[in-house]
Amino acid sequence: MFPAPQPSLRPVSRYPASSDGNGADLRVVSADVYANWESVYRDNVGRLYRLMYSRVGNRSDAEDLTSEVFRTALGPLRLAASKGEVQSYLLVTARTVLASHWRRHLGLPVTSIDPLSDLAALADPTGPDEPSDAPQRTRKILAALPDRYRRILELRFLEACSIREAARAMDVSVGNAKVLQHRALRMAAKAAEEMEQ
Amino acid sequence: MTGRRLSAFIDALAAGRRPKSFPADPEDAAIVRMAIELRAARPGDANPDEQFVSDLFETLSGQLSPPVVPGRVKTHRGRIAIAAIAASVALVGGTIAVTEAVNQPAPTTSALPAPHGKALRTATFENADDRVMGQIVVYNGHPSWVYMNVAASTYNGPVLCMLRGNDGSVVAVGGFVLRHGSGAFSKTIRVNVGQLRGARLVTPAGTVLASAHFA
Repeated sequence: MFPAPQPSLRPVSRYPASSDGNGADLRVVSADVYANWESVYRDNVGRLYRLMYSRVGNRSDAEDLTSEVFRTALGPLRLAASKGEVQSYLLVTARTVLASHWRRHLGLPVTSIDPLSDLAALADPTGPDEPSDAPQRTRKILAALPDRYRRILELRFLEACSIREAARAMDVSVGNAKVLQHRALRMAAKAAEEMEQ
Repeated sequence: MTGRRLSAFIDALAAGRRPKSFPADPEDAAIVRMAIELRAARPGDANPDEQFVSDLFETLSGQLSPPVVPGRVKTHRGRIAIAAIAASVALVGGTIAVTEAVNQPAPTTSALPAPHGKALRTATFENADDRVMGQIVVYNGHPSWVYMNVAASTYNGPVLCMLRGNDGSVVAVGGFVLRHGSGAFSKTIRVNVGQLRGARLVTPAGTVLASAHFA
């Protein structure tokens, strides 16, 4: 491993504050660049976390991956770059970090980060809570399933029921609920695939 | 066995726990992907915990240290390895440079457009199967410099990074060693960052391990 350049903490631009030559510096920061590393972090941590959460579906992994993105990105980051460039860089880093995560954990890429559409979400100044049209897409997928398949998935994933609670709600055994869930997920995955084509 | 591990993975996701790893096949992956999508759609769970945001900030703040000059190969062994690659790539470099002009690959979606200016350009390294393997960042400045890291390779050993210009020229900027599929490298460069088209990581045998295309 080679040491990466550390983040530049120098001002973006320096001009004499006055003509008296007292050496005082005036920090000039364009609205299009980040003033300091903290502003990079504050502006992007929530969005990157939400992006990762949408790709791994659990808080622990999303936190680890978000941390890894910032740890990896911190070294080479130079604040003279524009906000858009910094966000592009963070997204490329996130893409690599996520790919590495899936390679380590399941051996193949389960989810990924799309450079163009996810950059749009990351760069959106309004900072949307949802990085995509995910809820609408989920509703469409569920709507394409038979009633019992849809219900088991709603209970388990949207209504936070345990498998026992879901089985009780559907009046089936726990074993049957597991089989139902597996088949429902498989059918939903096919429905999602068809929607993309 | 895989079925049970898949089931345990799904149960953990549904319960909001960290799932355990297992070797998945493509059908498992499709099911896991669906479960993630459904789980992520549950209202109220998608925002980061304030404590996490604050703790991470403290941790990262502690990592800030005085600027360091971009790294070089430090070990004698490393120098030998990189020299060996440079020599082998020099042999194939001419071929690469010649074929570039007639066989230029179409830009892929691996690059992110730099929306404002060319101070920083970044792209993703992908292998021949379009799998993400790492990233490259080039900064325009005085001096300009390049940083790259690979974190998802199945290859271990020395690699050389070749920068490619818009005019088809190829420049070897240095090499590094991938261990356990990972490695990173940074170096100052004397090229016009705005004129770069992409980069390649090449093994000592001349095999292109991964390519990246700047937008």
